[in-house]
Amino acid sequence: MREMIRLFVVVLLFSCVSGGLLAVVRSGTQERIEYQQLKFVKGPTIKQIMEGCSNDPLIDRFKIIDGDKERSFFVGVFDGKRNVVAFESFGKGFGGKIGVIVAVNLENDTIVGIGVTTHSETPGLGSRAKSEPDLSSQFTGLSINEPFKVTADDGKIDSISGATITSRGVCGAVVVSAGIYARLKTKIMEKVKA
Amino acid sequence: MSDYILLVVSCIFVNNILLMQYLGNCPFLGVSKRMETATGMAMAVVFVLVLAGAITWIVDHYLLKQFGFEYLRTLAFILVIASLVQFVELFLRKSIPALYAGLGIFLPLITTNCAVMGVCLINIKEEYTFIQALITSFSYAVGFGLALILFAGVRERILLARVPKPLQDTSIGLVGAGMMSLAFFAFKGMV
Amino acid sequence: MAKTVVQEFTKGLWAEIPPFRLVLGLCPVLAVTKTVENGVGMGIATTFVLVCSNVLISLLRSTIPKQVRIACFIVVIATFVTVVELVMQAFAYPLFLKLGIFIPLIVVNCIVLGRAEAFAAKNGVVASFADGLGIGIGFTLSLTALAIFREILGSGTFTIPISSVSIPVFGPGFEPFTFMVEAPGAFVCLGLMLCIMNMLGKK
Repeated sequence: MREMIRLFVVVLLFSCVSGGLLAVVRSGTQERIEYQQLKFVKGPTIKQIMEGCSNDPLIDRFKIIDGDKERSFFVGVFDGKRNVVAFESFGKGFGGKIGVIVAVNLENDTIVGIGVTTHSETPGLGSRAKSEPDLSSQFTGLSINEPFKVTADDGKIDSISGATITSRGVCGAVVVSAGIYARLKTKIMEKVKA
Repeated sequence: MSDYILLVVSCIFVNNILLMQYLGNCPFLGVSKRMETATGMAMAVVFVLVLAGAITWIVDHYLLKQFGFEYLRTLAFILVIASLVQFVELFLRKSIPALYAGLGIFLPLITTNCAVMGVCLINIKEEYTFIQALITSFSYAVGFGLALILFAGVRERILLARVPKPLQDTSIGLVGAGMMSLAFFAFKGMV
Repeated sequence: MAKTVVQEFTKGLWAEIPPFRLVLGLCPVLAVTKTVENGVGMGIATTFVLVCSNVLISLLRSTIPKQVRIACFIVVIATFVTVVELVMQAFAYPLFLKLGIFIPLIVVNCIVLGRAEAFAAKNGVVASFADGLGIGIGFTLSLTALAIFREILGSGTFTIPISSVSIPVFGPGFEPFTFMVEAPGAFVCLGLMLCIMNMLGKK
């Protein structure tokens, strides 16, 4: 029995030392990691869809708790007014989740622009949802509350040829973000005004 | 309900853990030479993976996330899996010797089976609920077993064929696995 | 058994090069060799973990009780893997995203635990360092070779590590042989490379 306890203590000791060491590394890298996540994942897409805004949406951001999740919102200033917010939602594509950022105008609920952030779609087919603007530009200017569907599903979004499932995933993500927007609009308005 | 069925189909076929996600290949090539060992391994993986999936989910949600220790996830998960395997081994030997006789020798191999750790990590990454995590763990394990047993059948036939010397054993095994993966590739985009 | 340090190092480069001679740790080999950049990144991460865990385990080999050695090895390895995970997130975030769960999965890479158990637990610090570095570099070379083959045929490009610039290898008329970058191609490629290695024979 004493032997058992000794062994247990050794393993415990190892784990504690390891945990302590990692906590140090963690605190040293934490800030950089958060910044890198924004810069590489959402940054380029947000900058692209909010082209022409007079602030830096990556810095001007806030978080709202939605159920058990925390969502980040990025504010864009156009014509001197804080009237656009962008946020991310996910749809189901051919190879996995597709992340889509949707920027919405708070005054008339129209889409300012959408952009794909992360995907694992087939190179050369589904990946064109991110690299080429053909799909995402179709959403610009429409109301966020439209029932977005691809033409194959009797909707009005022309899908990328050879990548219907990817296009469907992008539409799905935009529909999801419409839900998030409707649910959180009052909270968003409070935060933006504050 | 239909969501759950979709999840099961996608985990067993579309995203088959072995042939599509490339996880758990060491035991895949190691124990697939004979049908008996393949079946034993498949059963052991189903058993451990469901337990591991459930426990790591609980650990992640009620310990790591609660206290902001997400960065310790890798360490915590591997410790959970390693001790779980030890515990299952002891428990089976004491209480169900018949099952232990069948699965016993495969249990120590499971600690370093990346399919187990991989599925636990996927469950967290995809933000599944507890029920979904249980279902995916079980289905991925079934998918693993299915691919392993089918592949053992293929390999038993290869043994009878005349294979050029440099291609023998693991080499032809990998090419065969590639052909099976190609067959499973047809499921892609189904869900 | 009296091998020199140099021999411990060079055996990992040819005589025991993983995953060809030492058929272990196949999962990352298959999964991350879609592009050269991913392959090299994964190789370096694994080498770091191998070297660090080998050295530390060799240092502690007399303190660790035999009965719980595997558990202790796993804790040591998991610690270094988490260090890699955090450092990679902080300094090479795009690469971290591409490698995904395969970074935490270095913990269960049989090569790392295998070297700890088979070598570092029985040998001195210098020899363990050389062994870890040799096996690690060998692993990186194999990953790179497979990745070059798959990327050039499968996407027609060559991604330079670190800078992430993809250079098209063939002219614009090239139709990528997508099979190679998908799962089936990974298995077939590795199988054929193993066959070539077998033909070349042990030196």
